Amino acid sequence: MAYSELIKNFSRIRDYMREFYLYGFKSRGEYTQKSARSYDNERRRIESILDGYMRFRQTPEGRNVFLSIDSRKVPHNPLYKAWKAGSFTDGDITLHFLLFDILYAPEVALTLQEITEAVDRKLAVFEEPRVFDESTVRKKLKEYAAEGLLIMEKKGKSVRYRRSEAAQLPGRDVLDFFSETAPCGVIGSFLLDKMEAHPGHFAFKHHYITSSMDSEILCALFLGIREKREVTLETIHRPDGQTHVLKAVPLQIMVSVQSGRQYLMAAADHRQRIRSFRLDNILSVSPGEVCGEYDTLRGNLERMRQHIWGVSTHSFSGARMEHVDFTVHFGPDEEHIFRRLEREKRCGTVERISEDTARFSADVYDASEMIPWIRTFICRLTELHFSDPQLQEHFLHDLQEMAEMYGVEGGEDA
Amino acid sequence: MTVFSELYSAYYNAVADILKKASDHPVTQKEIRETAQKAAFSESMLSIVPALTEERWQVLRKDGRTVLDHDPTMPLTLLQKRWLKAIFLDPRIRLFEDQLPEAPDVEPLFTPEDVAVVDRYADGDPYEDAQYRAHFRLILNALNMNYPLQIDYTSGKGKHARLILMPRRLEYSEKDDKFRLIGEDSRRTCVINVGRIVSVRPYAGQLEWYAAGKEQDRAEVVLEVVDQRNALERVLMHFAHFEKEAEKLDDLHYRVTIRYDRDDETEMVIRILSFGPLVHVTGPDSFVHLIRERLMLQKHCGLI
Repeated sequence: MAYSELIKNFSRIRDYMREFYLYGFKSRGEYTQKSARSYDNERRRIESILDGYMRFRQTPEGRNVFLSIDSRKVPHNPLYKAWKAGSFTDGDITLHFLLFDILYAPEVALTLQEITEAVDRKLAVFEEPRVFDESTVRKKLKEYAAEGLLIMEKKGKSVRYRRSEAAQLPGRDVLDFFSETAPCGVIGSFLLDKMEAHPGHFAFKHHYITSSMDSEILCALFLGIREKREVTLETIHRPDGQTHVLKAVPLQIMVSVQSGRQYLMAAADHRQRIRSFRLDNILSVSPGEVCGEYDTLRGNLERMRQHIWGVSTHSFSGARMEHVDFTVHFGPDEEHIFRRLEREKRCGTVERISEDTARFSADVYDASEMIPWIRTFICRLTELHFSDPQLQEHFLHDLQEMAEMYGVEGGEDA
Repeated sequence: MTVFSELYSAYYNAVADILKKASDHPVTQKEIRETAQKAAFSESMLSIVPALTEERWQVLRKDGRTVLDHDPTMPLTLLQKRWLKAIFLDPRIRLFEDQLPEAPDVEPLFTPEDVAVVDRYADGDPYEDAQYRAHFRLILNALNMNYPLQIDYTSGKGKHARLILMPRRLEYSEKDDKFRLIGEDSRRTCVINVGRIVSVRPYAGQLEWYAAGKEQDRAEVVLEVVDQRNALERVLMHFAHFEKEAEKLDDLHYRVTIRYDRDDETEMVIRILSFGPLVHVTGPDSFVHLIRERLMLQKHCGLI
């Protein structure tokens, strides 16, 4: 098939964009084990769609392609463009513009036959006019009605179609902001496309744009949550590429603004356990039956949240609950450290022990999730206790290894 | 109801723009090419121009006039309406206006209860505060209308200060849940937390503003990552929002170079420390020194 810039299946480009944006160290040879042509086509598509963000580096293994984007410098997420590259047929686009021209105002209501005849009349000016039969037009009208673009009105035996009422859009600043910060922000970007282009007045720090590649999955999960439905998830275990299919009741989306990851919290394993699924590891979501015990499950998650540090609901040690506490020391001009503990404590507790010392403690399902955060206090940790001795040893061992790595090991200062 | 649909396609938008022009006057091939280039992607004109001129997409006549009788428009899809309804439930919407347009009569796509941010700092800006909202709106108005502001604020050290500046942008951090105003006074680029502003008013005087758009002071840090415990993926995800490059050194080791604003150096130090021994800073020496200094202080505190 001839190359086209447009994308039929988003999942493939989702994988390539993730590879180019997150990793970017693989050479062509590492991608082309399955199909060299497929790689070349996807690379060319991404290069065209994300013109200006592609970078190349020559290595002994070949030419590496990667996407380099400083998201603080761009007012709009460039990855949204991929969502605007969906393929269509010549008939689709022709019919699209003709239908909305025929149904140009909400007051205009016509039958299928009237619409088909009007289409024919408009096309009659061409040398070789396209012919759309009634069944093709009906299919498109029904598709647009399902998307909410048209309204079907039944009167007796006849069905009339008219366009939906226009909805008022909020100001451009509102859309600029929420298209970058709200879940499924790409939909806000679609709305911005309806307005005159402008540079925007917002910038975004600590802005993770990769999650936008999971918008379709997120949207399907929201529909499940709103309708209180069980869903079937197809997931992938990235290290070995194994896929799994399971049923789960989607309860809440958890977002980490410090790692850019999004998770689904869902009741899985015959609804016996609430656990997390990374959105970028979900390949597809299919709706199932409405779940009668939905509110109970959601209530369970709400109660559990007071002991969830990140998203994990079980520990490696097997203990139902793990305890962590540590103390930090700070100088007279370092009151900001105490404030840091207060603002970052999440479900933990902070107590001031003395003028220059504070203790943090928490009881959580999985204390290993806290280790990266505790490490950010390296240089002022005076005491540390994990209820799981293995975690304690692991933390201290890593600390020792870091000290050795930077020449600060044992005895006197190096 | 899907996100990936041709209804939102850049091609449809480009053709709509072309048809709008064609309803005003017969469009030339050059105009078609330029409009396609502007509204779609870098190679799009290679598809759009022949599809229209060869009448495969039968919406434009050979003479450059459209077959449409009205400007091309499309109502909002259900998905767009549901998303709008959802953002109208976000408390931050009140920052922008008190009187919002009427929310679409549909179910929201999500509610604030459906999404939980697990690691946002607890001392975010007071969006419910009327004075904060008034400051925010005046700043946004100044950005839209391009006029300078006189700002009284409390500095990080608790002192009162005044600045006269030309606002350039409002920067929002999802992690801090704070807005910062970035602008230029006559000497430098200034950054003020909007939450620290005591009063703000339009400034009527004349001043020469510091050269706008000057690059922030940039710095670079080079890390060597040992890909154990999924460290490579975690590092690349964590630092994904920076301009960066990753190189494979061998099957286990990778070099990652990250470019950041020098003002954020302390934040970079603690973010790198959070990865423990699987990330080793190899350069520059000044950054290695910052890590080493923290470890030495830790040694004095014990645990090493």
